[in-house]
Amino acid sequence: MRKTNIVILSMLLIFSMLLAACAPAVAPAPAAPAADATEPAATEPAAAEATGEGVPMVLMPKFLGILVFDQAYQGALEAHKELGNPAELQFLGPTPENSVAGQIEILTNATTQGVKAIMISNNAGDQIAPAAKAAREAGMTVVTWDSPIPSAEGEQVFVAQVDFNETGKVMADMARNILGEDGGKFAVLSASPDAANQNAWIAALQETLKDPAYANLELLDIVYGNDQSEDSYNQALALVDKYPDMELIMAPTTVGIAAAAKAMQDEGLCDQVKVSGLGLPAEMVEFTLNGCAPQFALWSFVDLGYLSYYVAYKLATGELQGVEGETFEAGRMGTYTIEKDPTRDAGLRVLMGPFTVYDASNVEAASK
Amino acid sequence: MNALRRRFQPEQIRELVLIALIFGIILFFGTQIENYFSPRTFTRISTSVAVVAIVAVGQTLVILTRNIDLSVGSIVGFTAYVVGTILSRNNDIPPVMVVLLAVAMGAAMGALNGLLVAYGRVPAIIVTLGTLALYRTILVEISGANSVLTNELPRWLVNLPPVNVFHLGDLDIRLLFFIALVVVVLFQFIASYAAWGRRLYAIGSNPDAARVAGFPAQRIVFTAFILSGALAGLAGFVFLARFGNITVVAGQGVELQSVAAAVVGGVNINGGLGSPFGAFLGAILIDVIDNSLIRWLAISEFWRDALLGLLILLAVATDTVIMNRLRKAWSRHELQISGSETSAEKGGAHHAA
Repeated sequence: MRKTNIVILSMLLIFSMLLAACAPAVAPAPAAPAADATEPAATEPAAAEATGEGVPMVLMPKFLGILVFDQAYQGALEAHKELGNPAELQFLGPTPENSVAGQIEILTNATTQGVKAIMISNNAGDQIAPAAKAAREAGMTVVTWDSPIPSAEGEQVFVAQVDFNETGKVMADMARNILGEDGGKFAVLSASPDAANQNAWIAALQETLKDPAYANLELLDIVYGNDQSEDSYNQALALVDKYPDMELIMAPTTVGIAAAAKAMQDEGLCDQVKVSGLGLPAEMVEFTLNGCAPQFALWSFVDLGYLSYYVAYKLATGELQGVEGETFEAGRMGTYTIEKDPTRDAGLRVLMGPFTVYDASNVEAASK
Repeated sequence: MNALRRRFQPEQIRELVLIALIFGIILFFGTQIENYFSPRTFTRISTSVAVVAIVAVGQTLVILTRNIDLSVGSIVGFTAYVVGTILSRNNDIPPVMVVLLAVAMGAAMGALNGLLVAYGRVPAIIVTLGTLALYRTILVEISGANSVLTNELPRWLVNLPPVNVFHLGDLDIRLLFFIALVVVVLFQFIASYAAWGRRLYAIGSNPDAARVAGFPAQRIVFTAFILSGALAGLAGFVFLARFGNITVVAGQGVELQSVAAAVVGGVNINGGLGSPFGAFLGAILIDVIDNSLIRWLAISEFWRDALLGLLILLAVATDTVIMNRLRKAWSRHELQISGSETSAEKGGAHHAA
């Protein structure tokens, strides 16, 4: 009797140890399906070998599924055909919830898979710099577009959509146009507090406002909607509640401006508070025509992708060295110069520009 | 006191405590924020809580069975996007069909979770983490980087958010909030009185006993996941109506917000305890804090998230301390009763834990 008890006890003990041993083995599993799901985008086409004379290239957005990045890919494809590059141009990006780690992973994989040039819209801050440096050491061309690597480490050239200082001036001008001669009070609704490009634009806006010409514009507050519709929508309404005399919300983010305009429309506030900033014509056409967002601006992402491709291709083929002062032809877009980036100490840039300002007269045509 | 003890269970008192907490927080912010006590504040909070409240009810059904559904964020985004895309190509679909479509789509995605958890016996956290990524990735792939655009949607949908169902004094009850209210009341009723609802508690309190007692546990868990998916689909419709422009990141993070609402609302993460109404209160508590903090000038943007977390922790901690005291008081009381009287007027799954 006692013997069977001991047997049972020891079996229980072994069983519980087995269980304990199994548990940690099971635990990491949740990561597996998640990683698998994000994987196919990153790996499947990357097997392409460097063929003949071609330059295998990768265009990497911040993450997949956002219209403007797809437009940039269209532009890059246009340049790809124009230049007759026989190798493949891949559009590889992480899924939204995995943006930072995914970008670094794709960059690292590209380095080992024979890709000769990569164009990055960086969403990983300086965290991507070590991977970018490793890619450079392996002989790859690394160009950033849309959003640079802040320290410029590992990056050869940044293709800037617009001059960051000009962004400040364009926003201040739109505010003055909307608020009229007497000026007024407004607030900024940005993306996330650590988005490098947004912060640079807001800093430029604040700098512009110091000019006496804009003395009657008062910036009340800067809030962040994290490029999420819910957060941006709530923040826009909170601004209205906090500042009863505010007349304008300036949102330098496509998600923020659309959410703010919808919030004003839903709450019947469009007569009282206008919305402006950087937006996509297709998303804004309704609000521009009904007066909620009478004016907003943006650059062409198709052109940005096209120009980025030219820069990366010419760097990869040795036609450009990536030093200050070099000029080059970029197909239909004309002549550009590599210059020092005034917003980053160590960086070089190619400046695209200019802005298109949209209002009721041209927004419908642009939204098609 | 005894009469009171007999009438209320600790869980009901917990809900009263939550309501008191919500009022306490509202009173505090009322002294801090100008014009806080206005119908406008009510509208702001009621409209912004609708999506999470609906998802939290479904989440509660699943958590009651000692499971969890982390895929709801992707289901909300997926239905909002796909229903929006279908609608923008065909503006004439009747509204009822649109809602049914969203619910059915969510239910189908929930069914896959339920199938794997209930019949495949894979832990829910693994299944739903997998489908969280899976549904989002499918969405990203089929979207072709297009967005759902407000101006392509039918007018009735775009103009839905300001629609009022009725007024309570000065307070507007908006349609989207009303949908959430109906969901909460309906599922509170099912969880409290319907046999299926009571079995959720039984399974969560003691799965083995429920199996021995002959409950069709697998089927009940399966149905709970389907309902959680269906409600996430409904929330996807509300999301679409509220925001109009839908990108592939829509609904990201809703899964954690719904779990937070349920847990703050007293739903035990180990199953068997809590209620849809509690989860609703939890969602409101978090939303009140969140929406008040962004209007409070004394606090900087960068500290808001930390403060929100701290306040939630405080709320839950206070709640736990009070609840533990109450439970002890109740169980002492029960011992006394069972010592002196032979008949026990209670039972029920409330006390199983």
